[in-house]
Amino acid sequence: MMRRALLLATALLVLPAAGQDPALRDQIQAAKAMWAVQGDREAAASRFEAILAALEPSARTLDAAWTRDLCEVYNWMAVLDDRAPGKQAQAAKRLEALLDLDPDCEIDRTITNRRLQNAFDALRAQKFGRIKLVLDPPDGVLTLDGKIRRMEAGLHHLAPGPHTLTYTRMGYQPQDARFDLAAKDTRPVEFKLNRTSSVVTVYTTPVGVEVFVDGKSRGVTRGQVPVALSYLADRAGVKPDQLSEGFRIAELAPGKHLVEFRLACHKTRRLEIDGTWTTPFADHDMDPVKLAPSMGTLTVQSQAPGGQLFLSGMDMGRVPVQDLQVCAQPYDLLVRYPTGSFTQRIEIAEGKAFSVQARPKARLTYAGFEGNDEFAGRDRILGMLAGLGSRLKDVAFLTAAKGESLKDCLARARASKETELLLWARPIPGKPVHQIELVLSTLGGQEERIVVKPLESDPLGSLVARMEKPLALWEPWAGVTAVDMPEGPFVIQADAAAQKAGIKVGRPILEADGKPLATVAEWRAALAAAKGGAVTVNQGEAPVKLAVVSMARELPVNAQDLCYPALLADLKLRYLGAVGDEAALYRLHQALALMHFREYDKALEVLRDARTTAIQGVSQGTFDYYTGVCLLRMGNVYLTEAQQSFNQALKYPQATLFGPDGPLLAPLARQALHDLQP
Amino acid sequence: MTLPGTRIRATLMVLALAAALSAQDADMAERLFRSGERAYAAHAYPEALETWNQLVQQAPASPFAARALLALARHQLEVERKPEAAVPLLEKLRTDHLKTPQAGTALLLMGNLKAERARTPAALKEALADYNRAVDLFPDQPLVQEARLRMGLAQKRMGEWGRALVALTEAMRLDPASPFARQAQLQAAEILDIQGDLTGCLRMLQDLRNRHAGTPEAEDALWRIQTRVRLRLQKPALKSEGIWPPGRQKWLKTPTLLAVGPEGDLYIYNNDEDRAYRFTNGALAPAGAPAKAGRALLVPASGTAWIVSGKTGLVKDDGAPGVPPVPSPSGGMLDAWGNAWICDPGSPSIAVTGGDAGRALPVAGVSLLAALPGGGAVAASDSLRTLRWLDAEGQVKATLPYGKDLPAGFKTVVALASDPIGHVAAIVDGDFEGVVVWGPDGAVLRSATFKGLGIAGKFRALALDRTGAVILADRSNDLLVRLP
Repeated sequence: MMRRALLLATALLVLPAAGQDPALRDQIQAAKAMWAVQGDREAAASRFEAILAALEPSARTLDAAWTRDLCEVYNWMAVLDDRAPGKQAQAAKRLEALLDLDPDCEIDRTITNRRLQNAFDALRAQKFGRIKLVLDPPDGVLTLDGKIRRMEAGLHHLAPGPHTLTYTRMGYQPQDARFDLAAKDTRPVEFKLNRTSSVVTVYTTPVGVEVFVDGKSRGVTRGQVPVALSYLADRAGVKPDQLSEGFRIAELAPGKHLVEFRLACHKTRRLEIDGTWTTPFADHDMDPVKLAPSMGTLTVQSQAPGGQLFLSGMDMGRVPVQDLQVCAQPYDLLVRYPTGSFTQRIEIAEGKAFSVQARPKARLTYAGFEGNDEFAGRDRILGMLAGLGSRLKDVAFLTAAKGESLKDCLARARASKETELLLWARPIPGKPVHQIELVLSTLGGQEERIVVKPLESDPLGSLVARMEKPLALWEPWAGVTAVDMPEGPFVIQADAAAQKAGIKVGRPILEADGKPLATVAEWRAALAAAKGGAVTVNQGEAPVKLAVVSMARELPVNAQDLCYPALLADLKLRYLGAVGDEAALYRLHQALALMHFREYDKALEVLRDARTTAIQGVSQGTFDYYTGVCLLRMGNVYLTEAQQSFNQALKYPQATLFGPDGPLLAPLARQALHDLQP
Repeated sequence: MTLPGTRIRATLMVLALAAALSAQDADMAERLFRSGERAYAAHAYPEALETWNQLVQQAPASPFAARALLALARHQLEVERKPEAAVPLLEKLRTDHLKTPQAGTALLLMGNLKAERARTPAALKEALADYNRAVDLFPDQPLVQEARLRMGLAQKRMGEWGRALVALTEAMRLDPASPFARQAQLQAAEILDIQGDLTGCLRMLQDLRNRHAGTPEAEDALWRIQTRVRLRLQKPALKSEGIWPPGRQKWLKTPTLLAVGPEGDLYIYNNDEDRAYRFTNGALAPAGAPAKAGRALLVPASGTAWIVSGKTGLVKDDGAPGVPPVPSPSGGMLDAWGNAWICDPGSPSIAVTGGDAGRALPVAGVSLLAALPGGGAVAASDSLRTLRWLDAEGQVKATLPYGKDLPAGFKTVVALASDPIGHVAAIVDGDFEGVVVWGPDGAVLRSATFKGLGIAGKFRALALDRTGAVILADRSNDLLVRLP
């Protein structure tokens, strides 16, 4: 604990040093000008004092540049003090402080008088020893007693005592030198490093590119190319501030190497290092590597209002978005709606447009398991329930908060309305427990109970299959009804548009879009595959072009392969973004789903809001018929209204049930009216 | 002060003991039921039945007693084939365990039993009541779909087409993937045709094929579509494809009666042998009991053959001779209730046998009969020279004079036949000597003289097969001729 606290305190102390205020440098210049230009010695001294007060407390942790600045301030203060009466002694202390800071610091001999120069030289010669450095190669990195020092070959002053110098350079074997230096002594120190590998230096634009050698990351390019090498930027066709400093790749064994340059939103580049660059060992510079941007466009459409788009967690604003420029890469796309959400894993390809039709999908909250009864398979079923989300694509899966009880989770979810569906489980009492009841419920209370066995092969398989079953609410339609005859699909009925187009009733359809037809199933497949909203058919005479439209199909009321709570939640969300006939149709489906739960009053409420312009197939007459059915099921109170609804339905003689080829509802409505007569 | 406390403690102890015993009873009931299940699965029926009976006796209020009663009833129905033994079990289940799910199944099974036995609309109403109760009391159970289908079928038999259509449509709406929905759709399509909506019928049959391809109902729908389209929309001229099956001559012995069974197989009565055969997979198999002087060949749902004999009346499987319900039977048919209609041109009425008691329909001078899908019949009367379309009660719905819409008249109908979808065919004799096919509404769909067909023989029987073709029996040459 103590050690950790000490480290933390040290770090806090170090922090300000790393972040010296750059304005101090301006103040140094201003102070120098005050004396050199304006001759205001006192004001200059006062300004330098203030700068010293700012820098001295962190003197030991300053970097090389700030150390030089502080040396300069000491130098100027020594000169100023030397000229002030009674402060000459202070001047000597300034020089002493300068040498304590860095014995290699040199004074500015143009502003320092001879006397002070001599005092400085004498003091340095007396207090310090010297080393005479020989560096081969000359451009390595020297570390003195663990700290990197910028030293070139030649004489350098050091404090007396033991020292360790380490000299390193990429591509070479590092070398140490340990010595004990006495004051006034001069000691030669020679580094001659042995070459161990080639070094390749690369420059990239943009900066920040990750460099891989033979598949292994070597680091990321950074910085800016030095002014002396700015011609490299010209060669790359960019400004110098857009080209990185040199990134050295060392430890390249003899032979070929593959270098990859990777950066998000840019095309990856691969370059090969030739064997001649690695044998013999040598330094090489690569031509600047320029990565081209790699972008695509994303369009997200949504009929439902209020959607917020997130790409891999990043907020991209409100939907719809059109041709949004995004990096070419995979994303987790999320559109969050006020109710429901939409998720999809997408991959934007370079230069390609990607389009998504988003719609809110229901959120399912798994609230937990009731009770703590132990039984065989408990952990198994609990694990499966917790992992249910990975099997459901058409709902967003949520779970109870950590430590939240089933009861609390249900209460919270119902109050917040941040979910459309609730799921919980409980054991069915027995000795031992062999069955689990799963309860899936909407917030409106429409629920389904499913009994599963914890040790069966896939207890949740049926639920998942039913929740994921795609809805077939429309089918293609060309206004023609055909039946299977040996000679092909035989037309028995055609609506006015189809007859006007040239369809002949009483003849088979021989071809659709150039393909021969033998059965009605093939005709329906041709309609499903029709492109451009039309199909060209041949009945043995001139080809006839028929418009292909989508006709509504009814939702079954009690299908074993559908999950009605999930359907109801889904249909409510689909309705949010729908308009016109489509919206009306979602209302009809909602009503049918509510009829599954025998909630005829709610179904009626939904149907009352629905109007469609369609008069053929599943259409307005169908809406009126089901309105009548719901009214009938509500008892004797609404018999008059039921009569009105069935009479209304009869105004649409081409209205059908189930689908465009389903039974006409007129005979059914007539029968209902007949039965309603006293 | 201690007395009430003691009483309370004693009461609590009794209650606790009762609860413990009750829990033991429930446990015992479940074990008995499971034991019965195990024995039944091993086909140890006596052991299983005894165990379940013991359960019903010892824990009559247990939910497992309801399950045991249903299992016992099912055994009587499906294994023992003794519906009368199942009835009291189902009644007990319905009255003592009405709140259990098994009671819904009991109501449905009771309805089915009553519907199967019903020979009159009044009897069928009792079945309808059971179906309605099953739907009303157990609306969440899957049995509702079957109950709706059964209601529709019952109402169809009763001739209540509109109500039947509503019930069958309800059955279709519930779970389209279920076989009950498919059967309902098939029957609803047939009702539309009976109501005169041929296009609606065809659409519904094709829709059945589209949505349920590969199912038996979809296959059934195919011939129903094709025969209707062929006969009523395309109406190709009759022509002979000659001897049928090709090359088979002198293989029969004076064939005088033909019929097509529920599976589409042809039935042939050989007068010289006084017996009927089922012609299946190219071979003749004896069907039903022998009977002399056959006047009509009836094929009930079981696939056997009954013969209306000119001498002994209706001869069923057991071959027992009866008393002719009319003095001199000349023809007959089976209606939707399983009743046999038998006619005699000299009688003032058609005799209907079956059920508890026979009855007479006041339709005079009928020489031949053919069944109609709506439950009635077509009656040929040479004395009146009319064909009459009768409903299930014998009421005349349409009358067609002999020869109407034909190039020449005819005097007698030699043979009369129909198919399950309402087409009627006849061999006629007179100025027009040949074959005529009528639609359900009495319109002539196809006709040809034997001369025009280029065939000669003594044709005394005909049938309509499932392709809409006419099959003629030549009694003098002992062969069949097919007119596709």
